[in-house]
Amino acid sequence: MNDVVAALESLRTEAPSSLLPTVLADVGLADRYCMVSGPTGPLYVAWSDRGVTACVPAEIVGDDAGFAAHHPRSAVRVSAPPSQIARPLDKALATGRLGALPVDLEALGEFQRAVLEKCAEIPPGEIRPYGWIAREIGNPGAVRAVGTALGRNPIPILIPCHRVVRTDGLSRARAQRESEGEDEEA
Amino acid sequence: MTTIATSTERQLRSALARNVDAAFPDLVRELQDGIYSGALRLTGHRQDAEDVTQEAFIRAYRAMRGYDAERIRQLRLRPWVWTIALNLCRNTARRKSRKPTQGLGRDRPDPERGPEETAVSLLATEEWNRRLDQLSTPQRSAVVLRHVADLTYAEISEATGRPIGTVKADTHRGIARLRAMTEEEGTRR
Repeated sequence: MNDVVAALESLRTEAPSSLLPTVLADVGLADRYCMVSGPTGPLYVAWSDRGVTACVPAEIVGDDAGFAAHHPRSAVRVSAPPSQIARPLDKALATGRLGALPVDLEALGEFQRAVLEKCAEIPPGEIRPYGWIAREIGNPGAVRAVGTALGRNPIPILIPCHRVVRTDGLSRARAQRESEGEDEEA
Repeated sequence: MTTIATSTERQLRSALARNVDAAFPDLVRELQDGIYSGALRLTGHRQDAEDVTQEAFIRAYRAMRGYDAERIRQLRLRPWVWTIALNLCRNTARRKSRKPTQGLGRDRPDPERGPEETAVSLLATEEWNRRLDQLSTPQRSAVVLRHVADLTYAEISEATGRPIGTVKADTHRGIARLRAMTEEEGTRR
């Protein structure tokens, strides 16, 4: 009898390593991500079932392990975004406008969310000072906090924090603006 | 293979009752190997076993999101998730019987193992799948849950809704039949 039991026990095996992240992504406790081509090179883009949660140039995080360390939520790599993300993402990267691309900023605080939502309204080819965002969100004294919120933008390029400058005109991200053909002095 | 210790189960229940989202990954980590191993023997297909295991956890999560803390504290996690998984295994078997996929996706060798180890383990696995296939459904479930998924008789009784005495009898008769099959095969060789 014991030989049969031992043989059955030897059939125990480990679940595939992809199982946990897939389950977590399916219930909304983890994101999915992939790499896409961006205007200045490859990007890591992550999304939840509500929208895009991260966009990071590959040159900053390096590889998948670097992205996992950078991204605050668990994420499982997939080959491509679903169509409801893929099409508007392509368009957003091509036009510099979020358009119909859903973004998920729920993990952020109310203030940072307000800053990023306002920032997303700045059209390509234009720049605004921090003070403009502070005023627009009804917090004119919070210029420094606006700078901090933009510095922690989890979705740069798509939410164009590179179009915001300090009041003295210094750039946050000159290279990104130059890729959009903007004139710093305009 | 880790057996979910009573204290671990209690801690998990408390953690889930406090915050389902925070504790759910630990529930999956704790139970996934047992559920997957058992589902693999009950379905005979890796992809089916993976689908069953994933779906069982997804359903468990959604159910727990609708439960209050007290109800979660009352859950016996392993048999509860296995109740869901067994239903999914039955659904998979029903679907397959209507739409047979001859050999497709059958429990394939693990690509991470060497060819020799793979050949041996695949042969052994296929033989046990074939033998398990010949048991009645209650015997097969009882044997797999007891000796592959490592559930106690009480947990199997809870997961299957069958009396504990019946579960023990099913397990012992199933093991006896498997033994008879291996002996018979041995004398034929």
